[in-house]
Amino acid sequence: MAQPAIIAEDLAYAYGQLLAVDHISFDVAEGEILGFLGPNGAGKSTTVSMLTGQLRPQEGRATVLGTDVARHPKRVQAQIGICFEDTNLYEPMSGTENLQLFARLFGVRDFDAGALLKRVGLDGRGKDKVGGYSKGLKQRLMVARALVNEPRVLFLDEPTEGLDPTSARAIRNLILEEQGRGATVFLTTHDMHEADTLCQRVAFIDQGRIVALDTPHALKQRYGKRTVRAEVEGADGNLEVRELVLGRRETAAEIEALFRGEKVVTIHSEEATLEDIFIQLTGSPLV
Amino acid sequence: MNVRIVCALIGKDLKLYFSNRLFAMLTVLGLVSYIVFYFLLPGTVDETLELALYAADMPPALEALLDKGEVRFYRSDSVDSLREAVEHGDVPAGYAFPDDLLTRLSRGEGVAVQLFISPVVPAEFVEMYEVILHEFAFAISGQGLNIDTTEIVLGPDMAGQQVAPRQRMLPMLTVFVLMVECVGLASLIATEVETGTIQALLVTPLTMVGLFAGKGVFGTLFAFAQVVLLIGITGGLVHQPLLILTALLFGAALVTGVAFLVASTGRDLMSVMGWGILGILLLVLPTFTVIVPGSASRWIKLIPSYYLVDTIYRTIGFGASWGDVAHNLVILLLYAAVFMALGVVVLKRKFR
Repeated sequence: MAQPAIIAEDLAYAYGQLLAVDHISFDVAEGEILGFLGPNGAGKSTTVSMLTGQLRPQEGRATVLGTDVARHPKRVQAQIGICFEDTNLYEPMSGTENLQLFARLFGVRDFDAGALLKRVGLDGRGKDKVGGYSKGLKQRLMVARALVNEPRVLFLDEPTEGLDPTSARAIRNLILEEQGRGATVFLTTHDMHEADTLCQRVAFIDQGRIVALDTPHALKQRYGKRTVRAEVEGADGNLEVRELVLGRRETAAEIEALFRGEKVVTIHSEEATLEDIFIQLTGSPLV
Repeated sequence: MNVRIVCALIGKDLKLYFSNRLFAMLTVLGLVSYIVFYFLLPGTVDETLELALYAADMPPALEALLDKGEVRFYRSDSVDSLREAVEHGDVPAGYAFPDDLLTRLSRGEGVAVQLFISPVVPAEFVEMYEVILHEFAFAISGQGLNIDTTEIVLGPDMAGQQVAPRQRMLPMLTVFVLMVECVGLASLIATEVETGTIQALLVTPLTMVGLFAGKGVFGTLFAFAQVVLLIGITGGLVHQPLLILTALLFGAALVTGVAFLVASTGRDLMSVMGWGILGILLLVLPTFTVIVPGSASRWIKLIPSYYLVDTIYRTIGFGASWGDVAHNLVILLLYAAVFMALGVVVLKRKFR
């Protein structure tokens, strides 16, 4: 069996008295997209910093592509790509110059900035200064920069936050393309729909601890309240909502009674969203 | 450390530096204006002492005294024209002898002489003019003192080769060029920290050592190139070019270290400018020892730029050799190393 691309073993980090990451353990398989979800201050960024060699774990160990990150950060960083949450591009330089600079730092030979810009939908804007880009274009360039070295592991921190739907979709497609190339993706996001559609597994982190880690489907199965929601026409002609819980012995009879006794206008099965589950597990919304 | 990476960083910094209009303008216009300013200043020193005098009847002994010596005398037709010449600044001082000078002298009576002094004349010079007047009195009365003086100059004999005002200004212009570049580099680094681009660089194979090597080489070479241009165009590389280049290189390394320190203290362009101006003021202080010799206290030698200023001044102005300024170069190099090391330590913490 192939070794996981990312292994976190009992990772812990505290800022003074504040325990930001509280002994978490998980792994990410090669080619997998793992969604890392949690509210602000939950410990996501600190975890990413430890996994990418920006912070040295105070306890535990992080391994990326078989290399201990704390011991050989540069060896790891040569094989990964990072897209930061905050835009940190050289705005007085052009898009092409930004990419070429990082390609040189990574030692990429025969780097084709034009092709990469085209991939992220920035063809024709390469010569423009980044300072003149919109937020969406800057974010695309951020993702492109994370790809200059064709990384085996991608760390993406809120890559679609605040973007227009077109830019967000373009970036999601890129993430899927990268997965298709064989890259492992560690995706930090607030967007539950994004996590649901892109990620093979999601981890919920709250107050420095992982409170759940599984596939979105399994989490919904385990924590979700599966219901059928029907709209029926009442005696006064107004629509009324009926909700029936699935999975019980008497559900079939209840549905039969509903159709027999009332005029059903619409009926849908409903399952809990990841957000519902997060609130259920942590008691607070994902903001 | 990878040379390819360092070169990439230098190219990037050069591009960013000149994309900042303020510093691009300060660098180019500053350099041009310093050079123009240098050539506008007098290139020679005229140390002839000028005096005007009025005497209705010039005693022969005084007449004979006027024909020799280093003092240039102007004869005035009247007391009023003498006063006017001093008031207009044509001459710094003038003596007005009374019309009955010869009569009073022959009677052995006292003579009242008016000494007109321009307000710009320093107090020490006023005393000198009075001494000259007493010298005249001795000559006129035929009681000249029989004293032979032998001049022995201890140190380089500067008689006839005084340092021109433009050369006195050159060390100050050099420090200005270095410090503008220092503030520019500090601002560049502070902006990179503020915008998080440093963070992006440090999650690539670029190491902290490589990053500082790139910044250090860029800062030093960029500052060095500018001062070499300044000194070269103003003719300072004619004598002892290697010595001057060495001093300038050490000076450029020193201000790069200062730039690291300034960048670590400032959070944005304004605070960097604030700290940078403080640095400029401090490092410029020793240049006044050249402009106004003898004006400095001993503590001025605690300021690192003193050793650059002194080396440039003595080498370009007086043709000092390696042996004459070796201790200056050693101290300057030590200062540069200390400031660079301090800057790296402090700035590294900020990068993290």
